[in-house]
Amino acid sequence: MKLNYRYTGAYAVITFFVLSLGFAIVYAALSRSVTQATLGKLEHLNEVVAAQLCSGRNYAGHPSRANVLVVPVGPREAVPPGPVAQVRTEWNPALQAEAATVRLTTYPVVGGRRYRVASHAAVVEPRDVYLTGLVLVFAWTFVFLLALVVILSEVLSWRILQPFNATLRGIQRFQLGQPGAISFPPSRTTEFNVLNEFLTRMTARAQSDYQGLQEFSENASHELQTPIASIKAKIELLMDSVLDEAQLRTLTTMHDELERLAKINQALTLLAKLEHFEPGPGALADLSQLVPATEAAFADLAEMKGLATALHVAPGVRVPLDGALAQLLLNNLLSNAIRHNQAGGEIRIALTPVALRLENTGHAPTAPVAELFGRFKKGNAALDSIGIGLAIVKRISELYGHRISYSYADGWHRIEVVFAPAAE
Amino acid sequence: MKILLVEDHPELAKSIAGYLAQEHYICEVAGTFDGAREKLALFTYDCVVLDIMLPDGNGLNLLKLLRKEGVESSVIIISAHNALDFKLAGLSEGADDYLTKPFPLPELHARIKAIMRRRSPHKNNLVTFQDISADLESMECRLNGKLLNLTRKETNLLLYFINNKGRMLTRQAIAAHLWGDYTDNLDSVDFVYQHVKNLRKKITDAGGKDYISTVYGFGYKLNAPD
Repeated sequence: MKLNYRYTGAYAVITFFVLSLGFAIVYAALSRSVTQATLGKLEHLNEVVAAQLCSGRNYAGHPSRANVLVVPVGPREAVPPGPVAQVRTEWNPALQAEAATVRLTTYPVVGGRRYRVASHAAVVEPRDVYLTGLVLVFAWTFVFLLALVVILSEVLSWRILQPFNATLRGIQRFQLGQPGAISFPPSRTTEFNVLNEFLTRMTARAQSDYQGLQEFSENASHELQTPIASIKAKIELLMDSVLDEAQLRTLTTMHDELERLAKINQALTLLAKLEHFEPGPGALADLSQLVPATEAAFADLAEMKGLATALHVAPGVRVPLDGALAQLLLNNLLSNAIRHNQAGGEIRIALTPVALRLENTGHAPTAPVAELFGRFKKGNAALDSIGIGLAIVKRISELYGHRISYSYADGWHRIEVVFAPAAE
Repeated sequence: MKILLVEDHPELAKSIAGYLAQEHYICEVAGTFDGAREKLALFTYDCVVLDIMLPDGNGLNLLKLLRKEGVESSVIIISAHNALDFKLAGLSEGADDYLTKPFPLPELHARIKAIMRRRSPHKNNLVTFQDISADLESMECRLNGKLLNLTRKETNLLLYFINNKGRMLTRQAIAAHLWGDYTDNLDSVDFVYQHVKNLRKKITDAGGKDYISTVYGFGYKLNAPD
């Protein structure tokens, strides 16, 4: 969930509670003030009645007495110390309905006699009259407030979070092997500046570590090649001297192992090199010419293994690839297709303007298909290969944005390279 | 034929120099950039076998210097950089050939021979061994004057054998010679077996003697009769 949505959500919940509370307060205050106002009126009425009693005239039938009952208090009757006010719902004959009624009873002393003056009045209950209105007012306020918050948060967050989003994009695009440090636009927000500063420092350190590691592995590989070459040369010279069979056998084993070591080392150096290789702009490889040429170069190998090769090449297919890397890619793919084939098998090569597809018969891979692009992963452990060819192929494809996939079905291995569109 | 070997690893230099001496080259060794420069200023060499990483300089600078001064020697670069480096970075510019370490010694010999032949194309276009002769111009091989029907790879293989007669050739060395770098096709040694078998059959079918012997588990040898 986006940051501003979370803020908006939290704000909506808070607003809802505050508005509900406000609604409750308004409602309570309103109903209280209505009762209080009625009580005030009744107090006044009772005083008027007390004054009438004082005057000694007969006010029976006077409109003021409609809702007032005046009774002299008996001598034994208990009299409360002050006026008694009551609010309750009772049957109102004038309205012919149950209605909230306020009753006020006072005990004035007139001419030495104590009277009980009980007056009552129906009050308009807030629940009947104002509730709907109040709810509507608060509901609309809530809706408008929420709409405003949503719109404003969208606008504000776009403005305020702009540097943050720029930072996010920068990190997403960042690659350890890229040349130059990562750079962020300055922001007016302190927190973002702190974050950017931290990220710049961290990535710079990671880059320098990575570069150091790359250089180290490359140098180490190079440094290893010379001693290997020296040992190999010595073995070769030794083999030309007079040796018995056991000695020759030992030397052969040593020689083969050394050969393998050199191959692995070379492949790793190559991968390390490709890891931070910068594809030059505008390099195009003419695959329509390279694919048949490579196929021809491997033709004798395929023939010796009794493989039938079917070649379909669309003319004029030029894709973004360095020429030497394209050759390396094709060599690896084709030698794989031959090596992992079975005697009397088939190879199908199809080049179209959008993709290169290479299919070959062969035994089912023993490792999961997705892992075969990893280093030292072999589809068939029985074969004496070092299992790095596909990793190189994948890396080359990635360098130029071509998508490579591998699948196996019904005895056919299929590798497909879907070309990235040429950047014009 | 005079060769200057510029290589800072003393043991490797010793092995290569020893091997080249056996092949009747006059081989001198320089272990440093300055040493090589001095030798090149004093003497002329037909071929310079040049390592790139030298303790006191870069072999490529030496190559540039040579070309600037108009020294005519052929140059073969031997380096731990792989073939792709040369192609991508144009490292081999000005050099006649390059070899990636580690390389089989017979391969170096074959490359030197090829370069020398290119330098003097009209001289010595015919390579012979006993009753076999190979024309390097037309790439035709004959046995007692009778044309042998060899494929391109088989011709290459035969030439490699003749150039390194009397030497043990490992299957890997032959594979590297026939198919070059790039493939980590280790089972190409099986293909070597096929090619050698076919070549031997074609020669014996044409009435020739089988000069090639198999050294089990290791490689092959073209036997020079005493």
